[in-house]
Amino acid sequence: MISKKLAIEVLNEMLSTGADFAEIFYEDSHAASVAIENGKVSSSSFDITSGAGLRLLKENRSVYGYTSDLTKKGLMNLAQSLNKSFSGERLITVTKLEMIRGKNRNPIIKSYDDIPLKDKIDLVKEGTNEIESMNDPRIVRYIGNFLNNHRGVTIFNSKGKWFTRETEFARLAYSVIVADENGMETGFEGPGCQMDMSFFKDKAQPRKVARKAAETALLMLTAKECPSGKMPVVIGNGWGGVLFHEACGHPLEASAVSRGLSYATGKEGQMIASPVVTAIDDSTIPNEWGSIDIDDEGNPGTKRVLIKDGILKDFMIDDFNGRRMGREGNGSCRRQNYKFCPTSRMSNTYIDNGKSTPEEIIAATKLGLYAVGFAGGSVDPTTGEFNFGCSEAYIIRDGKVCEPVKGATLIGKGEEILKKIDMVANDLAFGQGMCGAASGSIRTNVGQPTLRISEITVGGRGGELK
Amino acid sequence: MKYDKFFELAKKAGIEDCELNINQSTSLEFSLFHGEIDNYSSNSSSTYLARGIYKGKLGAITSDVFTKDSPEQFVNAIVSNASVIENDDPVFIFKGSEKYHKINTFNRELSKIPVEDKLNKLFELEKKIKEGDPRIIEIETVGYEESSSTLTILKSNGLKLTQKNNDFAYYGGAVAKEGEQVKTGFDFFFSNDFSKFDVDKLAKSIVKETTSKLGGHQCESATYKAVLSQDVMRAFILAYIGSAVAEDIQKKSSLFVDKLNQKVASKKVTISDNPLSKTIFARGFDGEGVATRNMVIIKNGILQNYLYNLTTAAKEGIESNGHGTVGGGSRVGTTTWYLEMKAGKKTLEQLCEEVGTGVYITDVQGLHAGMNERSGNFSLQSTGFMIENGKITHGLDIITVSGNLVDLFNSISEVGSDSKEFANGIKCPSVIVKKIAVSGK
Repeated sequence: MISKKLAIEVLNEMLSTGADFAEIFYEDSHAASVAIENGKVSSSSFDITSGAGLRLLKENRSVYGYTSDLTKKGLMNLAQSLNKSFSGERLITVTKLEMIRGKNRNPIIKSYDDIPLKDKIDLVKEGTNEIESMNDPRIVRYIGNFLNNHRGVTIFNSKGKWFTRETEFARLAYSVIVADENGMETGFEGPGCQMDMSFFKDKAQPRKVARKAAETALLMLTAKECPSGKMPVVIGNGWGGVLFHEACGHPLEASAVSRGLSYATGKEGQMIASPVVTAIDDSTIPNEWGSIDIDDEGNPGTKRVLIKDGILKDFMIDDFNGRRMGREGNGSCRRQNYKFCPTSRMSNTYIDNGKSTPEEIIAATKLGLYAVGFAGGSVDPTTGEFNFGCSEAYIIRDGKVCEPVKGATLIGKGEEILKKIDMVANDLAFGQGMCGAASGSIRTNVGQPTLRISEITVGGRGGELK
Repeated sequence: MKYDKFFELAKKAGIEDCELNINQSTSLEFSLFHGEIDNYSSNSSSTYLARGIYKGKLGAITSDVFTKDSPEQFVNAIVSNASVIENDDPVFIFKGSEKYHKINTFNRELSKIPVEDKLNKLFELEKKIKEGDPRIIEIETVGYEESSSTLTILKSNGLKLTQKNNDFAYYGGAVAKEGEQVKTGFDFFFSNDFSKFDVDKLAKSIVKETTSKLGGHQCESATYKAVLSQDVMRAFILAYIGSAVAEDIQKKSSLFVDKLNQKVASKKVTISDNPLSKTIFARGFDGEGVATRNMVIIKNGILQNYLYNLTTAAKEGIESNGHGTVGGGSRVGTTTWYLEMKAGKKTLEQLCEEVGTGVYITDVQGLHAGMNERSGNFSLQSTGFMIENGKITHGLDIITVSGNLVDLFNSISEVGSDSKEFANGIKCPSVIVKKIAVSGK
């Protein structure tokens, strides 16, 4: 722990050469995980993450350093090495630190630290037993994992503020490998939350989660190769939101926008999407995977409407990148841990409900692809060129969902695809993922209702869609 | 000694053999935006991994700090984690190899070069990219990274293994615009010998990478004969050689099950793992402390060896070939250190001539989503060029390439002479493949 007195000393050392902002980010976190492979516990681990990140800002310049040496000497040495980047007169002296208490929107009734390892193992085994009970010789390997993470963060800054935040989150994941004479396929499901064990009793029951992973893998074993070319694509709800995450979410982060490196720079108030699209980033949803009470520079989490009826309204902004935009941070500053300089990131990002039903969208599609399972994707925010891979997809013929296909990848340019979303349903759901970018790997929810893209390029090996 | 108490307490707790794996590292990074330093970072950190065998099972813990409470905390965690293990995998705290090769991966001169000199080269790089072509409208990123680390393994039998590494990298990414079309390009240089850095060469490469993509349009969706660049081969080799991990072979979940001494690629393909090569990726011992050796994995298309750690080797009653990695859990992983694909004699131009009509694929994106290493199927966002009459003609705007790794490696008909080394420990040339499915229009 860093005392208030030491924090003031370190902040003042950081500020001695003219920085206009200084911040200490102290972290003491731990994570426990257990893995069960083919029915037997194969690994159990405990990891401690502990250290401090020091950040100095002066106008549009940022200086960052971290250390796991939390002694006074270690922190002062780091402060002295970083403040050499500036050579001006002191602008600020910190004399006191006032503790700011925020709302706890993600209460954990019983900490995972107090749950015996055996109970976590039993929980994972509910799912692995379910896979075993399927007794399908094509299932060659199945692994269940339970991970819980307790993150303790304290932030001191030169505005005289002091924040603390305790976060706990957990994830249950199953991966299944199946094989037959035609080849090998995989299935994966990994729901997570910032909630206690009740989440895995009610909303993400191990049996259902594990069975879904196994069934998807088995289904893909029988699936034909996905056709290729341009076609209408209906994207299923929940994890389908990875489309918006890649195509539009990253380009709306201040790290790209503030430097003119996003196609959305300067387009506030302009129509950038089809009028059926309203998109939101909301870090205030209680107990959701991507929610935060305060961000990693102490700003409270907020709900931001990014696009309203197709019109660009807002961005994800952190204080530093906000300087180039003449804006203050809106609670979007995040980092994996103290080893990463924080920047603007997403939280729970989703396309809001529309007026159609999923059934109407399928019925209105004569020939196309219905993508319901996704493996993730990536984007170049400057060009807006994105991709995402489908782990489960079907062909739609004459308004009906028909045969499964595998190996589909969807590609496009965010700006163009947003305008091609022509139907949005009313079945909004979320999917939990890890998003990797400059400030490391963080928890983010993707989300959307079922929607249709009138035309997008699909990559697959199955030739022309007929 | 600082760590003696851990070994004492471990012995008292009934931990048979144990070890501490200590990684101490420092790093320096800076980047520019519009001619000014916008990010500067100087860091130091440690990671401690404690592993031990308790009642025949392996337990482990990792921590960023080693305090006075750590010995007890580490021992308790090893005992509690080992106590829940149910599988019967043989586990080891390796006692040491007879002989270790001397490795030189630390260049003392690098830290003596003033930061100012390193910074000046970066300003020069930014300026040269900007001035390299009028179509360059922005520098997306330009930066310098330097790191130094010392890995020490201390074992309860008294063995101590140490390796020091350092390296630096310059990188840059630019944005080019022509009409309404915007394209980005990126390249890098890394080494631990500062005198080898050529700022002009890197700037030119970044400008070329960026501007050459302009003017592209989508091609027809079809199957093409193709040249795959070194960067594309890097991605495919890493994915395919992952199939040689012995654990996956033993668990019947790899493309290389029952393929030892059989054909897994065309006869043009020879791929080795060379941890004893004179590169910054050299390693004298693996994560478990086993001495490493150079080893052919695929020779003229025939699979020669699987990759073993102590656990997977013991299951087959053989010796580990030095590919073990250790992490936080009880499970020991498997890795390669420095993969090299044997180069051929033809230049890129000659490869294109040989293709005649086809595509030149220079980059693949979204591997974590579009590459299924188990099935070998891939469908990936790509960048490339059209090859017409044996010459590269125009860029290809947003396409995918799809196929299967087994088919792809078997259809390599020629290997280029243009080997390139990448930062994740692999060196490979461009190749020709007889067919790859492209999705465009």
